[in-house]
Amino acid sequence: MANFMDKFTKSLEEKLMPLAAKVANQRHLAAIKDGIIITVPIVIIGSVFLILAALPIPAVANFYATPLGATIQKWLLYPVSVTFDMIGIITCMGVAYRLSEYYKLDGISGAIISFVSFLLVTPFTITFTHEQYGELTATGIPLSRTGSAGLFVGIIMAILAVEIFNFIVKKNLVIKMPDMVPPAVSKTFVALIPGFIIVLVSLLIRIGFENTGFGNIHEVVTKLLTKPLTAIGGSYFGVVIVTILIHLLWTCGLHGANIVTGIVYPALYVLLDENRLAFSQGKPIQHVVTPQFFDIFQSMGGSGATFSLALMLLFWAKSKQLKEIGKLSIGPACFNINEPILFGLPIVMNPLLIIPFILAPLAAVTITYWTMKLGIVAKPTGIAIPWTTPPIISGYLVTGGKISGAVVQIVNFFVTGIIYYPFFKMWDSKKLQEESGEI
Amino acid sequence: MKKILLCCAAGMSTSLLVNKMKAAAEAKGEEVEIWAEPLDKAATEIPKSDVVLLGPQVKYALPELKKIADEHGKKIEAINMVDYGMMNGTKVLEAALKLLG
Repeated sequence: MANFMDKFTKSLEEKLMPLAAKVANQRHLAAIKDGIIITVPIVIIGSVFLILAALPIPAVANFYATPLGATIQKWLLYPVSVTFDMIGIITCMGVAYRLSEYYKLDGISGAIISFVSFLLVTPFTITFTHEQYGELTATGIPLSRTGSAGLFVGIIMAILAVEIFNFIVKKNLVIKMPDMVPPAVSKTFVALIPGFIIVLVSLLIRIGFENTGFGNIHEVVTKLLTKPLTAIGGSYFGVVIVTILIHLLWTCGLHGANIVTGIVYPALYVLLDENRLAFSQGKPIQHVVTPQFFDIFQSMGGSGATFSLALMLLFWAKSKQLKEIGKLSIGPACFNINEPILFGLPIVMNPLLIIPFILAPLAAVTITYWTMKLGIVAKPTGIAIPWTTPPIISGYLVTGGKISGAVVQIVNFFVTGIIYYPFFKMWDSKKLQEESGEI
Repeated sequence: MKKILLCCAAGMSTSLLVNKMKAAAEAKGEEVEIWAEPLDKAATEIPKSDVVLLGPQVKYALPELKKIADEHGKKIEAINMVDYGMMNGTKVLEAALKLLG
């Protein structure tokens, strides 16, 4: 059996390693991942104001019902809007910046040209209903397209613009300045011709879609990309696949979450923002799966939901090695960092321990998904918190201050503990035998 | 002063190791500067270092980063899994110094 498992993990590594390298190093996926990372601090800042504007304290809620309170609440929601409602644009610029860096192009030029091309394919008409005059249109940049709904268009325009930028620069079709011109000045001229062509291409896209039934590229992308991707990503099936994939990669010692996020997170950010919008408007929250579903509920204590295991190692381990790992890992585990457990126990390439390592997070996501889906546990509100936020507090915060969010984490803690326990015992006694020289 | 750069996905777990390595360096009386960065900063940080060590969980990035490291004449390698797991500052420091020759 052990022999078979050895072979199994070995062939897993041989097959997964090149695949992981391919996915992680693919320039567009890498740029999408790193571009989305740029939006994270912005979304967290917005979340702080979102929490303040919806503090789960009755006295505060009563205060917000007064005229003065309502004004203050309105003010608190301004920063929420300029952060969340801009993620499409910020992602567009972030992806463009990272991809430009990859091609060794001027990052800020790439980002700005992409931003312009994004705006160019976006219709500037906002339709709204007026009480007195009925349906009216106004001109402006529609917030409904610059937030998460424009995320995929933002990514597409960033990649398209920077690819054109790169192509033209590599073909050397740029205006060259004499050497005495300061580099900062000549850089802006390098971007001039590619910028012009990118604007032209974007304009053609705009005109092209205007003459189809769709009206604009946003409508097409929503139908063909955003809707199907978010439907798969937000389903239980999607959750299970992503969880298995992340942990299979980890069993070979590869950072599964880091590899998978470039593919999965764009769709999840759309769901996060739809929840945020519903939450700040006081409407029922729809989606269970957001980036926080994975960060907070799947990975409590780190990948593999090892928080319970960390405590077992600390308090129940009899072997010296496991006790040592327990001491080493408990601090970081409180912040969902568990490399000492993964590589020290180890779980990586360990045929015995990879079994609970895959089963425990699967149990955690199953419990969390269905209790939230059935309305027993509050859904994540769209509040984004750092993935390093300690367990229990994190569940409380992402659900918008609902005790049930913390309770489901406690339930997960015990269930994952029960799954890990027999394997922990076996491994501990094996180590103990090794230490006493019995093997 | 030898400059050692550690990289992992978010620069979190390598920063744990940085502290252990600093303590090991102090015990040895070795003059070193050690810091941790997330993977997406690696390209810009590599030129500032003498040697780069990758967390084993991001060793898939080694071929790509090696190109950059080679361009700047820097040494780069993934950290041994067991030493990483046990947060063995002494051994990882030794490995870094050995790479520097």
